[in-house]
This record gives sequence, structure tokens and C-alpha cells, in this order.
Amino acid sequence: MNGFPGGVRLRMLLRSFTIQGSWNYETLIGAGFAYTILPALRHLYGKEGDALEKSVERHEELFNSHPYFVTVAVGAVSRLEQMGADPAVVVRFKTALRGSLGSMGDRLIWSAWRPMSLLIGLVLLLAGAAWWLAVAVFLVVYNALHLAVRVKGLQLGTEAGFDIGRVLKESPLQLVIDAASRFASFLVGVAVVLAAAPIYQDRGAALLVGTAIVLGAFLGTRSRRVMIAILAGVAALALAFGVMGYGA
Amino acid sequence: MPLEPSTFLILVLLGGIVAVDGTSFGQFMISRPFVAASLAGLVVGDPVSGATLGLMLEAFHLTVLPVGAAKYPEGGPAAVAGAGIYASTASAPSALVLTILVVLLLEYLGGETVRYLRQTNIGLVTVDHRPQLRARDLEKRHWLAMALDFARGCLLVALGMVVIALASRHLFPYWGFGEDLPQMMLIGILAGLLASTVSLLGSRFWFALAGATVAVAFLVLQA
Repeated sequence: MNGFPGGVRLRMLLRSFTIQGSWNYETLIGAGFAYTILPALRHLYGKEGDALEKSVERHEELFNSHPYFVTVAVGAVSRLEQMGADPAVVVRFKTALRGSLGSMGDRLIWSAWRPMSLLIGLVLLLAGAAWWLAVAVFLVVYNALHLAVRVKGLQLGTEAGFDIGRVLKESPLQLVIDAASRFASFLVGVAVVLAAAPIYQDRGAALLVGTAIVLGAFLGTRSRRVMIAILAGVAALALAFGVMGYGA
Repeated sequence: MPLEPSTFLILVLLGGIVAVDGTSFGQFMISRPFVAASLAGLVVGDPVSGATLGLMLEAFHLTVLPVGAAKYPEGGPAAVAGAGIYASTASAPSALVLTILVVLLLEYLGGETVRYLRQTNIGLVTVDHRPQLRARDLEKRHWLAMALDFARGCLLVALGMVVIALASRHLFPYWGFGEDLPQMMLIGILAGLLASTVSLLGSRFWFALAGATVAVAFLVLQA
């Protein structure tokens, strides 16, 4: 059990929402990390003094992680500080942790949970639901996991300390990633059909839209550029025609 | 219909809020184009048009990942600027196509300003390029960086709305292909971009096919 009072943990949790506030190309979220862990450092080393300033400086060094999973690192590192771990060991521990936390967050949040939550909102909108319902459902579903990761991450970190690697390995993250990705893929199919539904009776339009769907599925993440190019090309032609006095 | 100064101001502030939500504060995802555009539409009195633009912009953003120090377009403030003007003017499909294009340009401009801010932050949170701020200074400068981000978002939305309003008045009326083609194009691009998301999700095409089948069944039963 960790010995940080509830107020200290709450302040660290609230500060974690701003961890990327001073994102920069030299220390990445290093300053944000130091800002977030500061309540724990003040609790351990006092409100001012050399010991506090030295510990703050140590934590201002380069650090990066997924912004939600970073609470795991903040919790674990504050635990190490509390145990009086050697500063060099703490630095090595942070270095080891940042890559795996970043990768976890990218795979779970950016590549699975966020697309899934967004697709739920978009499917609702395409199915004719009220705009506010689609927006609200997206925000609630997405932030349920977001907030859970922040809160649980800090709790696990402060409790596990050095042992956090084992705790993370035993977590059911991969199961959640797989389930969210499968459901999101299912929703992609629903969304594509609902988006294309208005033109199914027009053969020419259906052919065009069908081609766009195949192109999108084939090109994957490269589709964005191709679609922008197509849209810009047609718009440029339409405007040129308009300027010359043709068309509507 | 021209925007009231108070409406313009609310949109500018909304731009600041979605800009900080994008990275600096919270990341609750109100900065997603789909949410930001709907809220901007609500501010100008037509949330449905805002949501329509947001739906299209979101499709362009689904596969954009904010990983590490990668450069990526910033969707939130541009969506607010786009929806603020689009939802308060005529909503023809051609206007939607052209608004999307201007918004996409603004997104790249937004991405560049994010890069500039991150460069500026180096001077804020390091001393001679070394992280050695004292605790109190660190706290002040951390918040100053967020305030700069907020101001950046406000400026971007103000500039964006002026650009889109000018384009909508002086450029959009020259559209020369009628309204059927842009309507069809928008549907095709939306469906194509949505389909492209499968690759982000591990190319689980069978699940997408199952979803498509269920949606077709739903539409047939509804007809």
C-alpha cells in the first residue's frame, strides 16, 4: 500500500490532465511529467528547498508516453521516490517504462478505442439519430475508458512501484484491443452501407460510390490524400467552368 | 446571414477550447471535427448543418494518428471555423465541398502553428536548452504554454472564419457543375474514407462485411 494521502493523489490525477500542456521538441512531456508529480515531491521533500528542486529537475528531463497511460508512470515513479530509490535507478526505470506505456496507449486508445467510439457516433448520425445523441454517446463511451485508464493507472502505479511491469503484463489489455477492433470493423461495414444508401437506386452513382469504397478499402490510410486530391481536382474544374460562364 | 459579433466571439472562444483539448488539456475529444463542428453549428443556430460538415471532416480524420512527434493536421479549430460559417449560410452540396477543402487547408495551417508552439515551448520550459526550472517557475510556465495554445486556437478560428466567409461570398458562387455531382461525390468520398478505416483496425474485413450485411438487412426491413 502506498502512503500518499488522498489529496496528493487527487492533485496528481488532476494535474495529469495537463501533462501535455508544455509539449516541446526537446523534453517532449518532461516538464508536464514534473508538473504532474510535483504534489508527491512536495509531500516527500517539503514545499521548498534543495531536495525538492533537485528532484523536480530530475523529472523535467525528456519523457514521453501516451497521455492517458502516463498516470501509471507518475504513480510508479512517485512510489519509487517514496521508497528512496537511487535517482539513477529512477531515471532508468522511467526510460524503460515510457516506450511500453506509449505503445500500449497507441494500440488501445488511438488505434482501437477511439475509432470504435467515433464509429458508434457516426453510425448513429448516419442512421438518423439526433446530432446531440450521436455526439453525447461518442463522448460518454470514449471518456469512460479514458477516465478509467487515468484513475486506475495512477492507483496501480502508486501501489506497484517497481512491480508495475508485471502488473501491466497481467492486465487484459490485448483482449480489450481485440474486442474493440472487431466491433469497430463491424461498425465500419454498417457505416459504409448507411453512407451509401441514398444513391442505391441510381446505377451511375452506385458504380461511382462502389469504386470509392473499393479504393478506400484498398488504399487504407493512404486514402485520405487520394480523396483530397479528387475533391480538389473536381472543385478546381467546377470553379474554372463557373468562372468561364458555363454550368449552373 | 452575417454573424453577430457576440456569436463570432463565442466561436472564437470555442476555437480556443478545442485547441487546448487537442493536446494541452484533457483530450476529452471535444476537439474531434465531428464534435467541434456540431457545437459550432449549435452556436450559430443550425447544429444539423454543423454535424453534417463534422461527419465529412471526421471521415477525413479517422485514420490520422497523433503518435509521438509526428506532424499531423489539426482538426478542431478548423472544424469550428468551417461549421461557424457553413451552418450560418446556404447549405448546398457544392458549398459543403468547397468548405471542406478550405477547412482541410486550415487544418494544415493549424498543424504548422502547433509545430511552432512546440518550438516556442522549448524556450518556456528549459533554460539554455536544459530542463532546470525551479518548481514554482515550472508551474507558471506550464500554464503559460497552455494559455498560448488557447490563444493560438482563438486566432486560428478568427482567421479561418474570415477566410471561409470571403471564399463563400466571392468564390463559392462560381461553382459550375450543378448540385448533383457534388452530392454524389460527397457520398462516395464519405463511404470510401469510412471503408479505409478497416486498415487501421487490423484489416478485419470479415467483421466489416458482417456489419454491412446487418445494415443492408436493416435497410431492407425498413423499406
